Amino acid sequence: MRHVEQVMGTAVSIELADDRPAPELGALVEDVCAWLHEVDARFSTYRQDSEVSRMRRGLLTVADCSDDLRHVLSACADLWRDTDGYFDAYAGGALDPSGYVKGWSVEVASDRLLAAGCANHYINAGGDIRMRGLHPEGGPWRVGIRHPWEADKVSWVLAVSDGAVATSGTYERGDHVLNPRTGQPARGLRSVTVVGPSLALADAYATAALAMGEPGLNWLAKLSTDGYESAVVTDDGRAFSSANLPAAV
Amino acid sequence: MRRSTAAAIGTLTGAALIVGVRLSVTPQAPIAAPPAVDLVDSTPSASASKKPGAASSAKPPSSKDSSSKDKADEEAQNGLKTGVFKGKGATNPYGTVQVSIKIQDGKITAADATYPTTGNSATINPNAVAKLKQETLRKQSADVAAVSGATYTSQSYQESLQAALDSAKA
Repeated sequence: MRHVEQVMGTAVSIELADDRPAPELGALVEDVCAWLHEVDARFSTYRQDSEVSRMRRGLLTVADCSDDLRHVLSACADLWRDTDGYFDAYAGGALDPSGYVKGWSVEVASDRLLAAGCANHYINAGGDIRMRGLHPEGGPWRVGIRHPWEADKVSWVLAVSDGAVATSGTYERGDHVLNPRTGQPARGLRSVTVVGPSLALADAYATAALAMGEPGLNWLAKLSTDGYESAVVTDDGRAFSSANLPAAV
Repeated sequence: MRRSTAAAIGTLTGAALIVGVRLSVTPQAPIAAPPAVDLVDSTPSASASKKPGAASSAKPPSSKDSSSKDKADEEAQNGLKTGVFKGKGATNPYGTVQVSIKIQDGKITAADATYPTTGNSATINPNAVAKLKQETLRKQSADVAAVSGATYTSQSYQESLQAALDSAKA
């Protein structure tokens, strides 16, 4: 079963590959979409009544906030430290945990699908994908990494069974990633893809490396020891990948 | 007096751990600092922010400095004894870090730490870190189930390869 949901300012594509009756799969898709809309309502910085917006206005404290928001704040703090400050939920001044929330919410959705007995699926939230199990025709999921200049081409093809593929780049929404050290738009890298166990972390790592610019290449190489592989295209069209990137044959 | 010295070392151990972790993301930093017991750098207060690179200027262990003959008279009012004191080695995921401080006239005049050179520290040795390999940027139309890319908006999704895949399978 496939479904596309407009939520969180992007399109989320869902494919459930388990061989189960359509009504069951349909109900699971509905659950996923309901959760993603709930996350949007609670964490969007565009909604005045969201938990994040209320915290920004000082109407909600860490002591009073939900367990989910407390988790998000704590994870953002950990990522700030682990990325040498380049993943910064306060890069724009006010709290904006969006760079973590999307990946985390999809991670949670995928966990829930698995708990509901749906072990073969993928969720692609605007280009960041969490997948599990096998493709409907068998074998791992084949994931293309978009070519950073030609929208209808891919520059790598990966084979992933259980894991996440996240890409941050400057070609879709322009200079939306800031270098928190300078306050200026990130320069040097056009596309950064990180592949690893958790979409929440892969997404944040990709964003942090993009913010770092070319020094991000060395930083990404070190993530291999934690199980996160990467593929990068620089502004001038050079391509780099880590040794254990799960490229499809 | 032991307490205050231990407390100072404890604080510095924390600082050294931070320095130790920072080392893991600073490829230029030297890994094999010599055992820094006596420190030549003398600043008016504890210099926990001392750069790891400066550690290479530290002298090898010397008992002379910590046992100067008028040592006993130099115990200042705050109970900090003149001398060089080593902290207990603290083990973090990168190996063991040991800090030392130098106290003179009741003040911490220098602080440093030794860094791991063996074991887990291989993960922070810049030379041991694999670099990303450069390759030719490919441009292919492959058979894929999903496409990862920079986050599209609801509108730009319409022109994306993922949208084409979604509509083909719908």
